[in-house]
Amino acid sequence: MNTKASVPHPTKSAGSARSGLFRRLARDPVALVALLFLIVIVAAAVLAPLLAPFDPYDTNLRMRLRPPGGDHLLGTDTQGRDLLTRLLFGARTTLALGFASIMVGSLIGTSIGLAAAFYRRLEGPLMRLVDIMLSFPSILFGLALAAMLGVGMESLVIALGLSTAPPIARVARATATTVMQTEYMDGGRVIGLSDATLIRRYLLRNCAAPIVVYCSLQFGETILLAAALGFLGLGLQPPIAELGSIAAEGRSFIFLAPHVSTAASLLIFTIVLSCNLLGDAFRDLTDPRLLP
Amino acid sequence: MTQQLFWRLLTSIPVLLGVLLVGFLMLQVIPTDPATIIAGPSGTAAEIEAIRHQLGLDAPIWMQFWLYLLRVLHGDLGRSIINNAPVASELATALGPTIELMVASLIWAVPLGILLGTLAAMRRGQVFDRSVTALSVAGVSVPAFWVGLLLLQFAAFRWQLFPLQGRGGPLWTLNGLHHVALPALTLGIIFVGPVARMTRTAVVEVLGADFIRTARAKGASEFRVITRHALRTALIPVVTLIGLQIGSLLGGAVIAETIFGWPGIGRLAVGSIVSSDFPMAQGCILVLACGFIMVNFLVDALYGILDPRIRSRIR
Repeated sequence: MNTKASVPHPTKSAGSARSGLFRRLARDPVALVALLFLIVIVAAAVLAPLLAPFDPYDTNLRMRLRPPGGDHLLGTDTQGRDLLTRLLFGARTTLALGFASIMVGSLIGTSIGLAAAFYRRLEGPLMRLVDIMLSFPSILFGLALAAMLGVGMESLVIALGLSTAPPIARVARATATTVMQTEYMDGGRVIGLSDATLIRRYLLRNCAAPIVVYCSLQFGETILLAAALGFLGLGLQPPIAELGSIAAEGRSFIFLAPHVSTAASLLIFTIVLSCNLLGDAFRDLTDPRLLP
Repeated sequence: MTQQLFWRLLTSIPVLLGVLLVGFLMLQVIPTDPATIIAGPSGTAAEIEAIRHQLGLDAPIWMQFWLYLLRVLHGDLGRSIINNAPVASELATALGPTIELMVASLIWAVPLGILLGTLAAMRRGQVFDRSVTALSVAGVSVPAFWVGLLLLQFAAFRWQLFPLQGRGGPLWTLNGLHHVALPALTLGIIFVGPVARMTRTAVVEVLGADFIRTARAKGASEFRVITRHALRTALIPVVTLIGLQIGSLLGGAVIAETIFGWPGIGRLAVGSIVSSDFPMAQGCILVLACGFIMVNFLVDALYGILDPRIRSRIR
């Protein structure tokens, strides 16, 4: 450690702490494997149109439910489409769904949490609202929203976002409440900064780290929920490949051709497992007091 | 203690009202019009209007909510828009099997989770501890429907050990147990991991406490130290966790009921929401939310019984 690093420069010290974190993360073999796997899956999902050996919508009823092997590496699905291709495109959809949902959820959750901490009068009603949202089991919440807004990407993202928002709101409120007690928040108020500036410049920035960590920990769970909704038939419309709905399509033929739903489920499992393993390693490495 | 619980009960009323309101509003904006569905493709505009009036769908929205609230307070949850069956009786029929399924899942999953977590804490850092941790991470990561599908594929179809679908009767009959086994396994597996993990953390923390050292110094056996002294304190966060996980248990129940054709409230909720049968869906949501609030209340009450420190502080 040289003396320069201890100079309190916010961006620099945060950067070096982060690289130290990654170095420690790299020493954990399980977390490393999980990270590499996720990178490979995300890359494969992004590059799906280039990597996929077949067209994901190209049906061939004469070739349906073929077992793995031969031309089709993982076999074919109920419509004779190449399963590997379907899975690549399915992972693309599912990951995008998860990512978009976390974005929506963190936007709603952070807004509620920060508002509750900043405007103390709103705290009671807002946190009650969060309680109400929490008392809806997330799958039921998703079901109701999907039914209300019609089946589609937008309604699914809103439904998933709304069901991830309440715990994020709690984390945001908890962190923001401690930040509110700092002297710089009082100082900002004294020099006459507007509420909007105080929230955006000071409150949000100082709450961001725990919220981002918590959101990344929620990613696996969100994917799992998205897949469950897809499995129940409330995901995206049938021709679109999505991992949960691929598993559901295979369900009707589970005794004849178990490879369809097994492959899709296994892929969901490994993605979520990697997210959770990585999240656990991350949580062990960062300050445990960061999380409630 | 009683006073505390009474206040807790009072504060859950606005939450319950909120749940009702949110559920009601949510189901109000469903784009499909139930009157059009009932009238069928040959229904004229006048017929549709008459049905709308008969169902009270043309009243102002707050009025509809108020009327609904009054009826709910009288125990009348309306009739299903789809098959005209009374919602309350349908819910009553479906509630039993769901509670049955949950009891059948929790009864093996919670003790197993506590046992695994305690043993892991006692063997901290050893192979057993690591396997339990690995298993519980796998448990929270596995899609519930995959567990169900695997059990269906192997235990029910290939090995023919259990029936494929449906409910066989009450839990205390052999046939009932035979039918509930696979859905209860599917649902319980979600639970073992989190319970084991939370128990492990809590027991590890408690084992370092002074009163454990005192108990050991008094010459209590290790078994007594764990069961009488460590677990009693450690179970408090575990009970909280179980209360919090009831929501995910309901989610899992929807999946397990769908896969195994279990005639419970989860399947009823999915079916009614999909067919925009809103009295039924509203009833399902109300019952599920009530159940959730009630369980949380019971969890709070259990604190006092489990932890004398809380009991005396409240008194």
